[in-house]
Amino acid sequence: MGKIRRREFLVAGMSLAATPLLRSTAWAQQKTIKIGALYPLTGNLASTGLDCRRGVELAVDIINGKYDLNLPLAKTEGLPNLGGAKIELVWADTKGEPKNGQAEAERLVTQDKVVACIGAYQSAVTKTASQATERLKIPYVCSDSSSPTLTERDFKYFFRVSPHDGSFAKDQFSFLKDLEKTKKQKVETVALLYENTEFGANVGKEELKYAQEFGYKVVADISYAANATDVTSEVGRLIKANPDVLMHASYITDAILFTKTFKEMGFNPKGFVTMAGYIEPGYLPAVKADGNFMIIRSTFALDLAKKKPLVGQVNELYKKKFNLDLGENASRSFTAPFIIADAINRAKTTDAETVVKALRETNIPGDQVLYPWKGVQFDPKTQQNIYAIGTLVQIQDQAYHTVWPFESAAKDLVWPFPSWKSRK
Amino acid sequence: MFDQLLQQIVNSLLIGSVYSLVAIGLTLIWGVMNIINFAHGDFLMIGMFIAFWMYTLYGIDPLLSIPLCAAGLFLLGYLVYRFIVSKVMGGPGLAQLVVTFGVSIFLANFAVMLWTPDFRLIDHPLLSGTWMIGAVPLSIPKFAASLGSVIVSAAVVLFLRKTKTGKAILATEMNRDSALLMGINTDRVNALSFGIGSALVGIAGAFLSMYYYIYPQVGGLFGLISFCIVAFGGFGSIEGAFLAGIVIGFVQTLGGYFFDPAYKYAIVFMVYLITVWIRPQGLLG
Amino acid sequence: MRTFTSRQVSVSAVVLVLLLFFPLVARGSFPMHVMIMLFMFAMMGVAWNIMGGYAGMFSFGQVAFFGIGAYTSSYLLVTHHISPWIGIFVGGILAALTAAAIGIPCSNLRGHYFAIASIAFGEIVRIQFNNWKLIGAAEGLTLPMLPESFANFMFHSSKAPYYYIILGFLLAALIVCYLVATSKMGFYFRAIKESHEVAKVLGINFVHYRLMAIMISAFLTAMAGTFYAQYILYLDPESVLILPISVQIVLVAMLGGAGSVIGPVIGAAILIPVSEITRVMLGHKGTGIDMMVYGTLIMLISVYQPQGVWGLLSSIGRRAR
Repeated sequence: MGKIRRREFLVAGMSLAATPLLRSTAWAQQKTIKIGALYPLTGNLASTGLDCRRGVELAVDIINGKYDLNLPLAKTEGLPNLGGAKIELVWADTKGEPKNGQAEAERLVTQDKVVACIGAYQSAVTKTASQATERLKIPYVCSDSSSPTLTERDFKYFFRVSPHDGSFAKDQFSFLKDLEKTKKQKVETVALLYENTEFGANVGKEELKYAQEFGYKVVADISYAANATDVTSEVGRLIKANPDVLMHASYITDAILFTKTFKEMGFNPKGFVTMAGYIEPGYLPAVKADGNFMIIRSTFALDLAKKKPLVGQVNELYKKKFNLDLGENASRSFTAPFIIADAINRAKTTDAETVVKALRETNIPGDQVLYPWKGVQFDPKTQQNIYAIGTLVQIQDQAYHTVWPFESAAKDLVWPFPSWKSRK
Repeated sequence: MFDQLLQQIVNSLLIGSVYSLVAIGLTLIWGVMNIINFAHGDFLMIGMFIAFWMYTLYGIDPLLSIPLCAAGLFLLGYLVYRFIVSKVMGGPGLAQLVVTFGVSIFLANFAVMLWTPDFRLIDHPLLSGTWMIGAVPLSIPKFAASLGSVIVSAAVVLFLRKTKTGKAILATEMNRDSALLMGINTDRVNALSFGIGSALVGIAGAFLSMYYYIYPQVGGLFGLISFCIVAFGGFGSIEGAFLAGIVIGFVQTLGGYFFDPAYKYAIVFMVYLITVWIRPQGLLG
Repeated sequence: MRTFTSRQVSVSAVVLVLLLFFPLVARGSFPMHVMIMLFMFAMMGVAWNIMGGYAGMFSFGQVAFFGIGAYTSSYLLVTHHISPWIGIFVGGILAALTAAAIGIPCSNLRGHYFAIASIAFGEIVRIQFNNWKLIGAAEGLTLPMLPESFANFMFHSSKAPYYYIILGFLLAALIVCYLVATSKMGFYFRAIKESHEVAKVLGINFVHYRLMAIMISAFLTAMAGTFYAQYILYLDPESVLILPISVQIVLVAMLGGAGSVIGPVIGAAILIPVSEITRVMLGHKGTGIDMMVYGTLIMLISVYQPQGVWGLLSSIGRRAR
């Protein structure tokens, strides 16, 4: 009994002593602006979550510090209109599950009192997380989830900065038309291949729609499990269908497995036009030269630096901090903190309604983003960034190079796909 | 188009024998102890990682790592048996089922902690590339895995039938109580079987690492399929597991090719359920 | 009928009152969320117990019924604007019928064999739903955000109504389980569990009772699925039809004490907060430590306390007397 009393006394004593500390930190806390960041930090997509995290952390570093970069709020420390207040990130691990997306968003808002949320990479998780913020009337800025349905919900508090799979799919077909017009390469048939969760299925649907719109014949429409042990059946069917072009939406594991199987079985369409998995940082180290000549939709490529020095400058900072080159995921997640910080700064307050109004008025010029966009401006109804476009990159010499739109290309497109046999 | 069909048949045999290799370790454990090792897929993952690190750190090709993977997994299996599984042997059946789930969750996340969730590939194994048999490409690493599967299965069967220890294991498998009466130390037999069964899946891991990507959760689907194969082939029957693996390889590949790849695993599970309904003891059980 | 000791009655009453008052004192939505998940899994654990703990059919495929319940009521709501209160009933029936359909071929299986078959069954359902365009396939279903009301089974400004509903469901499940356990049916279940052969000799209509257990279990689990759909407002096969949910249900029942009515509630009360809190505290580091803790806990329980916490408490109680 005596032991317990002593322990209780110690605890009480320590908390009394800590109170002045608490008070001072509470005061100090008023000088930070809390933003909730939701990502799959553990679980199957943890390596991607880590990638996104790196992008977000660099962005907040730049906002909070003083950098001579042509990015919003880079040149000042923190947010000047709020007395230099700095952004404080509050991280939440969604484990890639939609129910955690909702729980974590709620927790971040009601318990950690974040003023806005960003994330969550997986569209299914972003769906539930932003549902929670919509219910709680807190702004949510997403720059890394690509499901078109996210901006078809008539939400008032949700904004998406990056392109979505609908526009990416359309880009793929615009590319094919362009190919015919500019490079005189005819394509008639396409095969659609996609992994069978929300991401892939959505892409497949959009691609089917645009194929019909643009007048291409779909000779195969195959979905599969991303963690398949073996894909010879799928590739066998593709070989039988004999398409001119294969469009493949995958995660990284299936991108690797399929690449190897394409080579093994000698599948040689005129071109591979792919999404996501092939541009993950882990893909090229895994497949090496076998990745050459794959074409991938992208928002970002390092060679954009040729026309936009900002890209090179940011990559230098990223490399210094993480010893890695900036990749697709990191670059996409990199953008959201700037958009929300810029809005809060213009709103001169963290009050949700004012910030949302400021978000709607966002008008960031094209030279202040890492991509070849005209800028960031949100559609008044869908709150999707109207200037968000994708590009196509092609892997050549085991590096990613922008090849389309042809006007912004850093390197010439290699087409048709050099057969596996002819490459050693 | 006959070429493509031939290709699919060849692949059925290849993937089927890889499955067999993964499953024979499981059936041994199951047959002897009546325990399903739900961590079997994760043991496979550990085997793959051993091969990977041997390659990356010391330049040892996975083919040469086979004995190492076998030894490493034997040790892991033995330890898991000695300190975890043996303690639930006398207990309720549910605990026996659930304890290896705990091992599975622990191992997969231990791997995440040690090696991060990133994907690894062994880029230049000794056995790589394809042989062309007419117009049909034959993946060399998969072919090696199939050969390995045949050799290992035959070796295990011989071991069980011809050696004293092997016969003791078989006896325990057939009738535990009689084996006890005959003076067989069933606890030692259990430990040995768990060790050997794990070593076998370690060998499978070494072969698989030659062409498949490696990451902490890789065991999931392989493990699930191997449970079905073992039940399908008949618990405890090595020949049954071998045969069942091949059959499942065919069901998966041809089912996916002719019917719909999106359903291929559903077809596998369906075939398993139907078989179990008609013949609960499996093909050769 | 089993009689309760006065101690059991008073403890239960106190706990119930505390639970009823909890939403009034809870600070923030996270504790409420944890309790809601706790009740939901407790309910599914109780449902599992009816076929697993009592009748010896260790199902690792419960998630299929959870998914069927969630998808049925959501599909009816989204496409035909049918109230989820009707949908929940329809979902339960469909789940029970599916359970009967799978139960017949599996009626002779026991122990591990039944477990593996149930896993295969769960996976087949998942793959089917993943490819079924009618209910959204892999894209899933998004529930409309209707104005909040009890009739709409949807609430936005507070979690308290969800809390009370799922608590109500849990109590209903407990009552069902209690009635089953203490009835003739429960006696037959235990006989079947002990020995198939003896049960047959005693003339117990073996298949009939097995099917009943499975169907009741499926119905209750499906109800939890509908609740989940109305709570999260979005479902896809990756969130409502995956094996880890089935495993979690079994763990909850086993940890608390399979074969006792209240066991799964205790199991959920330990496992759910542990997994939620470790995720919040350790998950964000991305090292998987939280799951390692979870896995270790499972191993420890299986080895040292396979009868679950309830088994532990009962034996203490017995020793004390």
